[in-house]
Amino acid sequence: MARVALFDPCYLGTLRPADASHAMRVLEALGDEVTLIDGRCCGQPSYNSGFRPEAKRVALSLLREARHHDVIVTTSGSCTSMVTHFVPGLFEGSKRDGAARIAGRFREFASYVAAHPGLDSLALMLEGTVVYHDSCHQRRELGGTDEVLTLLGKIDLLEVRRLTYEAECCGFGGAFTVKLPEVAAEMMTAKLDDIRASGAKVAVSTDFSCLGHLEAGARGTGQTLETWTIAELLAKALG
Amino acid sequence: MTTYHERAANEIATEHPSRTVTPIMRKLVEDSRAMLRKSPADARQRAEAARAEAIGRLEELHTQVRANFERRGIGYHRANTPADAVRIIRDLLGDAKRVAKSKSMVGEEVGLTHALRDAGIDLLETDIGEYIVDIEGRGPSHITAPALHLNRARIREMLARNGGDLPDDDPVRLSRYVRDVVGRFFQDCDAGITGANAVVARSGRVMVVENEGNVSLGASHPKLHIVITGLEKVVADEAGALAILEVLAPSATAQPLTSFSHFLADPDPGQQRHVVFVDNGRSAIAAGKYHDVLRCIRCGACMNACPVYRAAGGLSYGSPYMGPIGAVLSPLLWKDGRYADLPLASSLCGRCTEVCPVGIPLHRMLLDLRADSVRAGQTGSRLERLAWQAWSLAFEGPTRARASAALGRIGLNGGRRVFRTHGTATDPRVLPAAGVPERDPANLVADARRPDSVTVIAPDEIEPPDLVDLFRLRAAALGVTLLDHHDPREGDRVLRATAGIAATGSVLLTGEAAARRPLLGARRVVVFLDPAALVRYPSGLAPHLGDGDCLVLTGASRTADIEKQIVRGIHGSEELAVVLEGAR
Repeated sequence: MARVALFDPCYLGTLRPADASHAMRVLEALGDEVTLIDGRCCGQPSYNSGFRPEAKRVALSLLREARHHDVIVTTSGSCTSMVTHFVPGLFEGSKRDGAARIAGRFREFASYVAAHPGLDSLALMLEGTVVYHDSCHQRRELGGTDEVLTLLGKIDLLEVRRLTYEAECCGFGGAFTVKLPEVAAEMMTAKLDDIRASGAKVAVSTDFSCLGHLEAGARGTGQTLETWTIAELLAKALG
Repeated sequence: MTTYHERAANEIATEHPSRTVTPIMRKLVEDSRAMLRKSPADARQRAEAARAEAIGRLEELHTQVRANFERRGIGYHRANTPADAVRIIRDLLGDAKRVAKSKSMVGEEVGLTHALRDAGIDLLETDIGEYIVDIEGRGPSHITAPALHLNRARIREMLARNGGDLPDDDPVRLSRYVRDVVGRFFQDCDAGITGANAVVARSGRVMVVENEGNVSLGASHPKLHIVITGLEKVVADEAGALAILEVLAPSATAQPLTSFSHFLADPDPGQQRHVVFVDNGRSAIAAGKYHDVLRCIRCGACMNACPVYRAAGGLSYGSPYMGPIGAVLSPLLWKDGRYADLPLASSLCGRCTEVCPVGIPLHRMLLDLRADSVRAGQTGSRLERLAWQAWSLAFEGPTRARASAALGRIGLNGGRRVFRTHGTATDPRVLPAAGVPERDPANLVADARRPDSVTVIAPDEIEPPDLVDLFRLRAAALGVTLLDHHDPREGDRVLRATAGIAATGSVLLTGEAAARRPLLGARRVVVFLDPAALVRYPSGLAPHLGDGDCLVLTGASRTADIEKQIVRGIHGSEELAVVLEGAR
């Protein structure tokens, strides 16, 4: 089928080194030929802190690698949003146009899989119940909530619960969570309450940045919570 | 000055704002969304277009305003700085000693209340919420609900400080107590100061909205009415002003319209009316890359939806403008860097931008402001800069990045053995585990959903196609009495409406019928409405507004300043009755 690149974002590579292989398995099951892009960053951490030259330097490195590929599947709604919406603005003139062309080829993993022609030939099955955490970038920057839910709906025997306050931010926000920890913790507590109320003990999301933060909070408060990326969930559902 | 981080951490530790604010805002955001669905589908686009046009033609529209004010005998004043604004108003007040002021965000911005009191004026905040926070002395925590951070018990304590000895903390009792204090002050004061929501260039009318009736009393002060507002509040024409009305109250308080929407025209005989436009850096903002922020209509929807606002409250911002709009506007208005860290008070979740009814890209502006303040050296320590430089070197290429990731894992996993193995009281998080997590299949078996966690979304109301039926439905929802005929009662004020708005259950009073003091003094207001004069939406009123004084009444006067609980009958009757002439 298609030749694609899989961009394994920096923080995911650090915190969940097996996640890229989950995503790779899923893409290969769909029939894609996959090249891994790792050891790169979209520049979002410093961009969100206001340090743009530093963001530009790392984003440029990512774009240089990405330009050889027609589709760059990215296992993070947040990084996809950064590349598609904000990275081109770091460049001027014709370089901006060039950056926008490459940035336009980035696709968030779950949305990419949801629209994949090979999807219906996969037998996806996993018995159990999970709750879906909709990341702000997936929801508002990419508008990809329905795509993820459609995809999850294709997994046999899986019950996907929705949060009561699904549109609310979990309080991660990158540097925000470090610079304003008390505020972030308040927001996280509200989200963990909502997850607890759902009854589910596994939360799934396109964004491990939210999940890692929620898991750290759950451990600290003694709440039973496993956090899975959509890639991990799909890899398990492949059997 | 303290930092946002210090103020927020302190506020969370001492007041825990989210306990009060989050449940209120969760409901309000849903109610607002439902109310906006009852507005015309293109209301937001029209409101945005009207505001964008006004900012693009700012000086041209001010020239029109000035000419129309001259025709009407309204004073036009322009203040470049907060000090100018105070001086102009001080001069306009002349010998006035007792002054009734209603809510004005620009008033907060220029420090009007304190400045006038320092000049020896006996000034009373007449908005119920403002009256309460004035006693507390920490300022408003929300632009449309100033006392949102205080619950009823705390409000009762505040009123007791000012001599209000109340037997319990029932919001109805508390609201009516303040109403009576304010009502007495209005009987014997020398001038009224109000804000404005828009100034219409084409006709030179001042649009101002309110629920309580204190603006009605201030604007109809027999001698002197002063309006203080921002330079950007002009709008080209009535269509633009009505477009703003269609989104303002739904976005702010989930009401179709506020109880009173005034279009103030010529001063009454014997009355002086002056409008003071405050620039304070707005001309410069209009000429720069953040000009879109001047579209703001001060509805507060962005703060209602903001998770950071809910967590740390409005007072943490330390600025008269709080929430996402405050985090954008404050550093632009106060260039000295005192608010340079406010743009960091956001997780960039984008909900502010999503709900803004005039399309201000708030969270993107926050990102740009962060970059500006780092460039200007107002935020971002040398240490932070060094850290980001080191980070960018590490992630510039894959070899160093992979090594950094591996080092990061070792660091985190080592660190987890040494510290942050337990969370703290203010931050329960432990350091995240790095590596391949263990999975327990038992966790895929969920508990039952907690029954209270299911959101009940009200089904969309089926909208009657007939305007009379729609008017009846919406007016009744506001507590308006619908009469087939009028049985006169003592104390009735009987008026004829020029038009009515079906979707909001409102009536339009013009000319003599709009006279505010007799209206508020009546025991019951009875309005005759010809069904043929019904329009569907506020925007349909444009041809009915004429060139004179207009007042749109939407239900009885009310307040929701105490725990968002609605109390009807503040200044003005609890009872508004409409007689639909000749209708079934």
